[in-house]
Amino acid sequence: MIRYLCFAMKSMTKLKTLVSDLQDFYILCINSIVRVFKKPLYIDDIVEQMEYAGSSSVFIVSLVCLFVGMALSLQLSAELSGLGLKMYTGKIVGIAVIREIGPLVTALVFIGRVGAGQAAEIGSMILGHQIDTLRVYGIDPIKKVVIPRVIASILMLPCLTIIGDLVCLFGGYYIAVFVSNQSGSFYWSSIIQELTFENVFSGSIKPFIFGYLISCISCYYGLTTRGGAKGLRTSTTKAVVTSIVVVIAMDFVLTKLLLYFLGFSL
Amino acid sequence: MIIFDDVWFSYGNREVLKGISFIANFDERIAVLGESGGGKTTILKLILGLITPDKGRIIIDGVDITKLSEEELIPIRRKFSIVFQEGALFDSLPVKENVAFFMREILKLPQERIYERVRELLSLVGVQDAEELMPEELSGGMHRRVAIARALAVGKTKMFLYDEPTAGLDPINSERIMTLIKELADRENIGFMIITHVVYVAWQLCNRFIFIKDGRIIFDGNRQQLTLTENPAVREFIKELFFRINI
Repeated sequence: MIRYLCFAMKSMTKLKTLVSDLQDFYILCINSIVRVFKKPLYIDDIVEQMEYAGSSSVFIVSLVCLFVGMALSLQLSAELSGLGLKMYTGKIVGIAVIREIGPLVTALVFIGRVGAGQAAEIGSMILGHQIDTLRVYGIDPIKKVVIPRVIASILMLPCLTIIGDLVCLFGGYYIAVFVSNQSGSFYWSSIIQELTFENVFSGSIKPFIFGYLISCISCYYGLTTRGGAKGLRTSTTKAVVTSIVVVIAMDFVLTKLLLYFLGFSL
Repeated sequence: MIIFDDVWFSYGNREVLKGISFIANFDERIAVLGESGGGKTTILKLILGLITPDKGRIIIDGVDITKLSEEELIPIRRKFSIVFQEGALFDSLPVKENVAFFMREILKLPQERIYERVRELLSLVGVQDAEELMPEELSGGMHRRVAIARALAVGKTKMFLYDEPTAGLDPINSERIMTLIKELADRENIGFMIITHVVYVAWQLCNRFIFIKDGRIIFDGNRQQLTLTENPAVREFIKELFFRINI
């Protein structure tokens, strides 16, 4: 009986902590939007963060997307040629990349490079009392530290997704034309046919939401870092793992909603 | 005046402070001593309103700060100049920008005036040649000196707060930092509170000593009372001091 009571109490404590953590996270998410409209806006910090999140990530995003596009095209060419439908490779690669794979793969790379960096940097600022110093000076850490990262992520992830999509399609083109011996002009024309409002919209709305979620999660875990190097490792790992799970789950939710609202029938 | 009235604080399930009470004037030179992890830095954070106590009141200049919002705490925090442990310099900024930070962000001083004041402050603490260096290029002693210069950039305050100002420094640099702390307090004619576990540092600089053990104050008194105390925990702690100053 006592054992059950202890278990119940421990579970209650864990549940209470979870609810309290979620509340803190939601407050951070709301503040990171509401306080954008309150002066001052740290433009220099936003530009610095955009440079870190955006232009510094182009190479790694391109590299990953190139191989993903090539692998996708290779798989589809092999499968479709058995059915005599090889010429549809471009069409399927186009739909998959623009609507789903481009935004998702770019977001996952972004989590690994930018999200982890944001969590580690803010965590290290917490441990080194730099965030406390800002508060002592009367500078709001949400405005100075969180908002520039959130804005940079919201603006840069869509740009990276466009670049990632293009590189992915080029990877697919290379395999379709030089390995699978398909017509390059037909590959591109079938992709252009798929550049409809529905496809482009469903692929371009996701990165904005992913960028916001990734930076909020990373900043939250960074700000809650406690306990030295081990704590920093834990918070960075949590930021990456939570971001991956949330982004993939949100991708499913958004896909479902977009299919419904854009009138796709299942 | 700082008043701690039955202040309790815990990190999760670990109780760090258990009913701390003391009164401190801004012109006093106080050392808060105790073992590492004993809640000394927590006292400093509570004074600045960076954390809120679980129970009890903290009154600064007649204002109970325990229920104030971040914005309401700003004027309270401006009463203090704080130097955190290891300096807490901003890694991404060079020394001169670290010192200029407050003047640029809050005081909005013109660029020329900022750099003029930065040079003044850096030469005051004796690191005028480090202006262009990044924090990772500084030695431990220089780090603390720049942090002190940055704290001074805030302007006239009522009290200096130092968190372990000599931790991790060699004896020569410790001595330099102690001299600087003393000189600044004399020059500005204001008091300070030092958080330290080194009794010798406290003895050299302060005239009031507060010992914390297991979250409670076990001693609060002046130099004479400290040397005559019968409290075994305090005597154990100051054994090294008796040896060094040959009492």
